[in-house]
Amino acid sequence: MKLVILGKGGQGVLFFSKILAQMALNEGRSVKATEIKGMAKKGGVVEVQMKIDEGLSPLIKRGEADLVILLSPDLEEYGKTFGQKILKFTEEEIKKAFEKVPQRLVNTYLLGVLLARHKIFDKKTALKVLDEENKKSFLKGYEDAEKNVQSQDGDFT
Amino acid sequence: MLKRLYLSGNEAIAYGLIEGGVRFLTGYPGTPSSEILPTAQKLKLRYKFKGFIDWAVNEKVALEMAFSASLCGVKSAVTMKQVGLNVAMDPFLNAAYVGPKASFVVVVADDPGPHSSQTEQDSRLAAYLAKVPVLDPSTVEEAYLFAKKALELSSEFEIPLMLRTTTRISHGKSDIVVSEEFPQEEFNPSFKENLKNWNIELQRLAATPKLRHLLHKRLNEKLDALAERNKPRFFYQGDILILTSGIVFSYLVELIEEHQLENKITLAKFDMPFPVKYQKFSEFKRVITLEETSPLLELFFDTEGRRNGLVPKEGELTPEVCEKIFSRLGLIPEKKSIAIPPLKRPSLCPGCGHRIGLFALKKVFGKKAIFCGDIGCYTLALNFGVTDTVFCMGASLSFATAIKKLFDEKEKQREVVGIIGDSTFLHSGIPPLIDAYHYRVPFLLIILDNETVGMTGNQKTPAHRVSYEGKPLNPVKIEKILEGLGLDFVKVVDPYDYKETLQVLKEAKEYLKISDKPCAVIMRHPCVYTREGLLNNPKRPVQILEEKCTGCKFCLSEFECPALYFDESSEKVCIDKTLCIDCGCCQFVCPKKAILEVKA
Repeated sequence: MKLVILGKGGQGVLFFSKILAQMALNEGRSVKATEIKGMAKKGGVVEVQMKIDEGLSPLIKRGEADLVILLSPDLEEYGKTFGQKILKFTEEEIKKAFEKVPQRLVNTYLLGVLLARHKIFDKKTALKVLDEENKKSFLKGYEDAEKNVQSQDGDFT
Repeated sequence: MLKRLYLSGNEAIAYGLIEGGVRFLTGYPGTPSSEILPTAQKLKLRYKFKGFIDWAVNEKVALEMAFSASLCGVKSAVTMKQVGLNVAMDPFLNAAYVGPKASFVVVVADDPGPHSSQTEQDSRLAAYLAKVPVLDPSTVEEAYLFAKKALELSSEFEIPLMLRTTTRISHGKSDIVVSEEFPQEEFNPSFKENLKNWNIELQRLAATPKLRHLLHKRLNEKLDALAERNKPRFFYQGDILILTSGIVFSYLVELIEEHQLENKITLAKFDMPFPVKYQKFSEFKRVITLEETSPLLELFFDTEGRRNGLVPKEGELTPEVCEKIFSRLGLIPEKKSIAIPPLKRPSLCPGCGHRIGLFALKKVFGKKAIFCGDIGCYTLALNFGVTDTVFCMGASLSFATAIKKLFDEKEKQREVVGIIGDSTFLHSGIPPLIDAYHYRVPFLLIILDNETVGMTGNQKTPAHRVSYEGKPLNPVKIEKILEGLGLDFVKVVDPYDYKETLQVLKEAKEYLKISDKPCAVIMRHPCVYTREGLLNNPKRPVQILEEKCTGCKFCLSEFECPALYFDESSEKVCIDKTLCIDCGCCQFVCPKKAILEVKA
């Protein structure tokens, strides 16, 4: 599985990627990843490419990612160079995340949304990796998104 | 005990070095090498072995310190980025001649691309120049294994070893098995213990040119012996041979398997691309070298590659580029390449003290002043017109000195400013300032002091009072250095105090008109990218008065805070509250006074 995670510095892109990697490792799968951070820190583009159970290098050729996860919607055009399957969070989901959990837990809420919408990992795997408060935030995201998934047709834009 | 850990290449190198017995490790931060030393510090805290692991003031000093530790019989290593090795070239070449006593490894991280460097230079060629064997890992796991292997070879052949990594290895991550065994090796530095044989030792420790010739000969013999043993590893069986080393090997394996070229291509992987022994490879139809970023194996084995235009002469050899080379060889059909849209250019962080300080500088000195910039976050001030040159570490002050001197010789009045960070100043800004003082060159020296090495991930500077182990350190005061040199205008301001900053800069401007010495303004504000800096940062929340904002975009182009954006529908500037840290600096910027502090 080839994943690309894109966002801005300060959004917790690296944290998000680390949790995804940890889930794969917990399932006994191997992970290769690469992190590219530009010169700017807060607000600068952060790009993580991650291969799970495949390859020798962490790099993913343009157009070949199985899923591109966008933490920042304005990176969509760039994200599409990696693959057509883009997962972005809707404004409503992000708004809800900020309402329901403190800012530092927004990431794990969105992780819940991600796993509800796209089952790249089992929910149980996530629960094993997260600590207590992150677990709660994750579950909130997961449950909120699950309700939505049933009413929506197709989870990708 | 064997353990499976998810590590970056840099973390893996730290594990390899420390497990291999390194007890003196130093370096200077530089992307993508910076995480090796902090990881080793964590291991030292965890396993409590004796030794020294901390930053040096620059790469030259770092390499000299580590090498002398090796001469005391302590296994040592030094880390830096590729342009840092340029700073350390003098001791690097010398170390090969003199030869270490205990293992001595120079870890250098190259940056093909480049992603965050001035050059794409290939440190394997620096190793060749210095006659230092170089290991070039292809995976994170190899980075760990080669760190240990480098130490072993260094000790066996009494020669320095270079461990060359690249951004994709250093910042790549992978689950690898480490032994995490840190034997409490005997830590027993010794030097000049045996006076009887000291004269023999002196023949290499303090060799005169005549003896250097002998040392050179001995070095060549070591290289020949190593080359004799250094054999490539072969993979697959085809009649096109590709020689390779480093991360490119991993890309090639993936591409060969993806396109089922196992019968078309043979791969020869050099774990150690120097020294090698010439061989002909005449049984193959074509022999090509794919390596980052300059021809090395290609030259030794006289193969196809960059010299016949098959391989691009610049840029990273990404999997896409390798794939294109395969289609040029007629192995696979040509693929349409995907155009990559440009990303938004990087900016200083919201709330960064450098931004408001440099804005004040622009305000007082005007855009006609010559702003000689340097290497650090503040390079980004070129986005809003307060940096005219970016060259290499310390060059801001050499440039400012020479440029100002030229105009003075011509008796032409020009205002020249050298802008340098605290860490960069200590790294290599002091020597040019000595010349500026000596030759009576009145330029303005701005030291942006955020008390950290910001751009590379907030490593400590010599201004710190406590080490990572909680031991006391002597803090180095930059103002004392400046006063000690003989500057009599040395002022320290917090750029968040905008009025005071303007005042001091105006005084400096007046001073320079009548003085024949450089004058210095230290703008001191902690980096807001550190946890501590952010927590203690003043809170001055602002609001934008919509009726006053004319949408002139002055703040966006002249101040460029990422938290300010132009709202197309209202045609006004707005604040992105997810990025804003309430520093309140933008209230001093708006010419229409539309940004106001919200008083509690």
